[in-house]
Amino acid sequence: MLNITAYHCPTTISEAVALLAEEGCAVIAGGTDLLVNPRYMVGVREVVDIRKLGLDYIRHEENWLCIGAGATMRTVARHPEAQGLAHGVLAQGAALCASPNIRNTATLAGNVASALPSADTPPALLVLDAQVVLTGIQGERIVPLEQFFTGPGKSAREHELIRELRIPLDTTRKMGGGFYKIYRTAEDISIVNAAASLLVREGIITMAHLVLGAVAPIPLRARKAEEALLGQSPTEENLRQAAEIARDETRPISDQRASADYRRRTSAVAALRALRQAAGLAKIEEVWQHG
Amino acid sequence: MPEIEIALRVNGRAAQWRVQPGETLLEALHAHHLKGTKLICGTGDCCGCGVILDGRSINSCCTLAAQADGAELLTIEGLSQDGSLHPIQEAFAEEGAAQCGYCTPGFIMRAYAFLQEHPHPTEADVRAALGGNICRCTGYVKPVAAVLRAAEMMSS
Repeated sequence: MLNITAYHCPTTISEAVALLAEEGCAVIAGGTDLLVNPRYMVGVREVVDIRKLGLDYIRHEENWLCIGAGATMRTVARHPEAQGLAHGVLAQGAALCASPNIRNTATLAGNVASALPSADTPPALLVLDAQVVLTGIQGERIVPLEQFFTGPGKSAREHELIRELRIPLDTTRKMGGGFYKIYRTAEDISIVNAAASLLVREGIITMAHLVLGAVAPIPLRARKAEEALLGQSPTEENLRQAAEIARDETRPISDQRASADYRRRTSAVAALRALRQAAGLAKIEEVWQHG
Repeated sequence: MPEIEIALRVNGRAAQWRVQPGETLLEALHAHHLKGTKLICGTGDCCGCGVILDGRSINSCCTLAAQADGAELLTIEGLSQDGSLHPIQEAFAEEGAAQCGYCTPGFIMRAYAFLQEHPHPTEADVRAALGGNICRCTGYVKPVAAVLRAAEMMSS
């Protein structure tokens, strides 16, 4: 039993943010991180359930794909838009996250809010240039996901609710993408993961995003590797070189899942496999079939 | 500590439960004498505490009881009808898939949710569907066979 004194289930966003303005109030949606990881319960006395706020949507708004804070991993993995965008990189990340029981209730926004470096969907969201829409008593602000993570379990969110995540469609629609996860068993947390997106025009890479998970305190944007890809053709050799550059950008730690050295070495493998998918050199596994 | 009153349906019957704000759904089940759902890892990793909440299989160890307010809940106790086992239970018994039995309710509830959506699965589908259910007897062959057998029984 958790040591909390109140459970709130507001039906409007203004009620929810008023509650969150108080010290010791935490957001709960699926609860699959909050209820099992003591890290998130430090100082928490009350929880605010956000599942009755009508935020379980995935919808278009102008040139954005907007994913509400209540949308579960299952919803995201099975959504045709998520499956169609950049080879379904986000649907892959969501479908490979944890187990079916967890995906039925854990939310995409919760995976972002938890801000763990090993999370499966932040790398996919980062290569799609996602933004975080935060709502608090002061109003709403938009933070690029790239500036959101500040450390393991730490983020730019302060007494706020992630109302939605949004992905710009004008650029990402033309991108290829890919996600690759190295893990032991089906429900495991990533040992290393990688997401990539590439925009190729007339045989030349004009935009490249490569993000590695579980190799640094936050999901790591491999900028040197990205730069090396620009202006190149998307050949196996060029992708391999970029993956090796990305490996040298990692700063992994050793823990119960793997040693730092193992992570460093396999980060090149994960990066290459994600890049191959993004470049159309590898078959896209439709893992969301089981999402 | 202020208790919360929730109204839900449990195995087809209306129920009113008084729960604590920090009580998990699993703890509430046990407090209401529904002890078929097992606590195993308690961290959402093994799916041993699986139940069906509004048609979806979830882990009751990492859901608050208060979050089940207004929901339709199905547990392992609710599967048999009029004293006869559900086909999934029967198939688990016939295949010897229960083994030590502790993870079995979680496997069966997961299989139940899965077969509702996929009445004619392949073996690969079943393996993916049970991917999150951990059996520490490490015997997965028989549960997979049992779910395939149950699918046949339910569609014939």
